[in-house]
Amino acid sequence: MLFNSIDFAIFLPTVFLLYWLIPNKNIKLQNLLIVAASYVFYGWWDWRFLSLIIFSTIVDYTVGIKLKNEENQSKRKVLLWTSILVNLGFLGFFKYYNFFLENFITAFSFFGTEIKANTLIIVLPVGISFYTFQTLSYTIDVYKRKLKPTKDIIAFSAFVSFFPQLVAGPIERATNLLPQFYRKRNFNYLKATDGARQILWGLFKKIVIADNCAEFANQIFSNSADMNGSTLALGALFFTFQIYGDFSGYSDIAIGTARLFGFDLMRNFAFPYFSRDMAEFWRRWHISLSTWFRDYLYIPLGGSRGGTWMKVRNTFIIFIVSGFWHGANWTFIAWGALNAIYFLPLLLTHKNRKHLEIVAQGKYLPTLQELFLMLITFGLTVFAWIFFRAENIGHAFNYISGVLSPSFFEFPDFANKKRALITLILIGVFLLIEWSGREQEFAIEKLGMKWKPALRYSMYYGIIIAIFWFGGKQQEFIYFQF
Amino acid sequence: MKHFLTKILVFSLPIVAVAMFMEVLLRNIPNDYLYKKDFLDNHAAEVENLILGSSHAYYGLNPEYFSDNTFNASHISQSIDYDYELLKKYKDQLEGLKTIVLPISYFTLFERLEKGPESWRVKNYTIYYEINSSKSITSYSEVLANQLKINMQRLVEYYRFNNSAITSSSLGWGTSFNSENARDLIKTGKNTAIKHSVENMTSQKHQKIFDDNLETLNLILQWGESNDVEVLLFTPPAFKTYRRNLNNKQLTKTIKATKAICAKYQNCTYENLLSDKNFVAKDFYDADHLSEIGAKKLSRLIDEKITELK
Repeated sequence: MLFNSIDFAIFLPTVFLLYWLIPNKNIKLQNLLIVAASYVFYGWWDWRFLSLIIFSTIVDYTVGIKLKNEENQSKRKVLLWTSILVNLGFLGFFKYYNFFLENFITAFSFFGTEIKANTLIIVLPVGISFYTFQTLSYTIDVYKRKLKPTKDIIAFSAFVSFFPQLVAGPIERATNLLPQFYRKRNFNYLKATDGARQILWGLFKKIVIADNCAEFANQIFSNSADMNGSTLALGALFFTFQIYGDFSGYSDIAIGTARLFGFDLMRNFAFPYFSRDMAEFWRRWHISLSTWFRDYLYIPLGGSRGGTWMKVRNTFIIFIVSGFWHGANWTFIAWGALNAIYFLPLLLTHKNRKHLEIVAQGKYLPTLQELFLMLITFGLTVFAWIFFRAENIGHAFNYISGVLSPSFFEFPDFANKKRALITLILIGVFLLIEWSGREQEFAIEKLGMKWKPALRYSMYYGIIIAIFWFGGKQQEFIYFQF
Repeated sequence: MKHFLTKILVFSLPIVAVAMFMEVLLRNIPNDYLYKKDFLDNHAAEVENLILGSSHAYYGLNPEYFSDNTFNASHISQSIDYDYELLKKYKDQLEGLKTIVLPISYFTLFERLEKGPESWRVKNYTIYYEINSSKSITSYSEVLANQLKINMQRLVEYYRFNNSAITSSSLGWGTSFNSENARDLIKTGKNTAIKHSVENMTSQKHQKIFDDNLETLNLILQWGESNDVEVLLFTPPAFKTYRRNLNNKQLTKTIKATKAICAKYQNCTYENLLSDKNFVAKDFYDADHLSEIGAKKLSRLIDEKITELK
């Protein structure tokens, strides 16, 4: 079920009402309802893949219980690896099997050995990369004794399958989300209205910004061989806002929806396009994934504590793995490696934590230096997104050489230029709102709170009208494919 | 909780009221779907040649130039599954039907209305033809299927300027592609060919659509065979700028599959008119659609083929 669908517009109020009408706010019944609703939500795509979630849930629940009772360190390790292998095994099979097979065949044929093996037609279960990582965080934390294992299978199932963030995150930590399923949830008016506002803003980002940008990004990337340099540059720009509007919009809807049910999910985006360097960008982009890799991969590898070589190695590992997490394609690996190259100079010169505070905090405008740094960082990001969006490495390089050709100075030429201009104006308005709200958790969190109610409500109606007026053709969320 | 629900309800009430009012107004605008449905409801028994298909048939086949009673039941972007749905809906009423004319264009076997960019048109079949095969809720509402901007334009056009949304003739032919307003054949050729080409033809998604469409075509042919109805399949003519930019693999696959399936049935004839030399620049409205001049030519040509089948 898509968040930007009518199906969800019916599903959400129904589950919301049922949830809060449960007598005495009985936690067990509420959790049970969440599990049932989450399975319906997920099964809307494909019921068959529910078995994977249920299997992962049972394995990690059992491993958690066994880890609690097991004192023998080697046996504990075996249990941990059982969980890791089961979860990553599913992920590996569904997401990476064909990739590895094809690359092995290519590699062997390079050395003159021909391997006969057929790739399989494998449908990627929606959200597998997200819930796999979430459930892994539970087993690892229990193993490290950072978290007590749960005996409540319903609460654990709800944690694994919690529908607001099941298919595209934020990837929650067991230490944050699981205890919330044990606590009594009372309806909180302020939290609910805050959640509703965040959902509204998320829908705006997805439907108005991302879906409109998608139309042009798809058109330009699909026909890049026939486009001039300026059109290609514009295509990359459209994709830059498409992916941000799409993914951060999804996160806003997820966090807002969770709030309606009394849950607090972690923040996933913090206005990344206002970053002054790439280190800051990575503290603000897909925060739940970056911190997951930091805690469960980068730090166990030694982090940045070792010598220069170790820092370089660990940085490349984390960025490349992070890129590969997005999909079985060399383009994602290249995207990850490129970001590692962007990030390394900052790390090696100890400037990676230079910009920890919000840009131009308490001011209306940034300084010229801040503006310059933001533009440079933004430009680097746009360049990297070309690899992310391209069909393959060759396509990415052809695209870049197209951008850098003399035709860059020609006028952009593609279908529906008038609509594209309107989309660019919408992006401009969107950026202004985002800038004005950059000190909040989401752009319209506090916007209009001091205004008269009539004016504030007019703004909400305005956003709703914009969603229906400018709404682009409904597109799936990009991150569902990961 | 009560306070929150009250606020949400009060906030939503104007939106719901406006949406419902718009829905009623939009459904009242006369349109091709409603017109053709009414025609078929009342005259299906008299129809001898039934034209189905997408815009290539809608603008390209004018029933006025056919010898027998002919009705054009095609619509813009109508995919083969909806051709079949229409046939199913009227199968018992089409008592005098002798021939079904169905275009197999370059994209026909690779597209399904509900899965493509024109999916918003599905609501026309659910609302006006009452074909309820769609699972999407948006397909059951005028307001939800289109952008607010488009709906407002439609309301203004009809209620302010009294412009009807009907663009077809009384026998269902699309009248708006006039030779006087013909478009640039070079530009439209390239752009449309790109739009009609499938990005990854062998992908699981496109293979499934291809297989499903072939199966639907099979069902149409089976129905024709069991009801003694001829099925004339044809690939419509297109201008060279369009033809040159087509993906040869996609075109070959389409023609090969159509020929193969047609060969299985006695009642099926296939004509490939894609590069037919009778059609010259002035016959085209754009690179893949005929103008009224080209439509006259094609209609007479198809009528001749139907006569040959008798």
